[in-house]
Amino acid sequence: MSGLGTALVFWPTAAIMLVTGLYVFRTSSMARAGLLLLASLGVEGLIFLALASEFLGVLQLLMMSGEMVIMVFFMVMFMADPGGLMGMDMTHDKRRSAAAAVGVAVALALLALLTDWPAATLSGEAPDVRAIGFEVMGRSMFTFLFAGMTILFAIVGGIMLAAQGGRLGIAAPGDDGVAVPPPGRAGQHVPPPGGEEGHAMHGAEPAR
Amino acid sequence: MISLPVVLIAAALLFGIGLYGVLGQTNSIMVIMGVELLLGAAALNAVGFLRYAWPEAASGAMFVLIVVTLMAVEATVGFALVVATFRNRRTAELDDLTDLKG
Repeated sequence: MSGLGTALVFWPTAAIMLVTGLYVFRTSSMARAGLLLLASLGVEGLIFLALASEFLGVLQLLMMSGEMVIMVFFMVMFMADPGGLMGMDMTHDKRRSAAAAVGVAVALALLALLTDWPAATLSGEAPDVRAIGFEVMGRSMFTFLFAGMTILFAIVGGIMLAAQGGRLGIAAPGDDGVAVPPPGRAGQHVPPPGGEEGHAMHGAEPAR
Repeated sequence: MISLPVVLIAAALLFGIGLYGVLGQTNSIMVIMGVELLLGAAALNAVGFLRYAWPEAASGAMFVLIVVTLMAVEATVGFALVVATFRNRRTAELDDLTDLKG
């Protein structure tokens, strides 16, 4: 893609990426937030395509579309107000968070502007999928294997953490198949009918 | 035209947005979404360097592959932690988890 073509794709996609990324944390509907995150990271894949990284762009699009769909499911399952209909405020330290975010972004942008970066022009073709394949299966094979093993460990660790019968046993009423009444208020812990002795984590009041 | 600092500034702004989400949200899932944006900014940085500093090096793609791997791993472990927390406390709100607060 020529320099003008890259610019024509980059500016609008970068703007969409940033605006949708910002609105992830501005919308009160969590399903909408998940779709906005999908839009932000998907459009980032288009930027990769514009920057002559076709393989990485397609990879980003595929990975993010799968991941964000899973994330929307989790949000609907676990969030107190997934539809944003109750008007709950799920933020804290808004002012300080915004100040820290703006400070870090400005510092990084200044660093990007003031540093004398190496500049090189693409003389021929950018590395294609074949070149990346040879790189992955050649010099960088150990790194690639390490990434694969990391994903495997994450899968095993994730299942162990999320499993019902783990080191902590049955965590709460309802996990053993017995229906439990819905909580009265979002985020409120509902004690079991027979007291708190059902689980080691809930056994006694912590020492103060 | 586009140059390396332009790409890096876009990544810096995306990083700032992700940081705002990580610091300002109370729900674990939203914090995970913020971390996704932080890692997305890192991937954009890597692609910028790959395109404008070392355009003929295929090894630069490995950095992006590692970042994408980290995104998947972070989401996996993060969701598992959310499930474990929800099993024990019936909430995914970070403000309710105060057992270790001094």
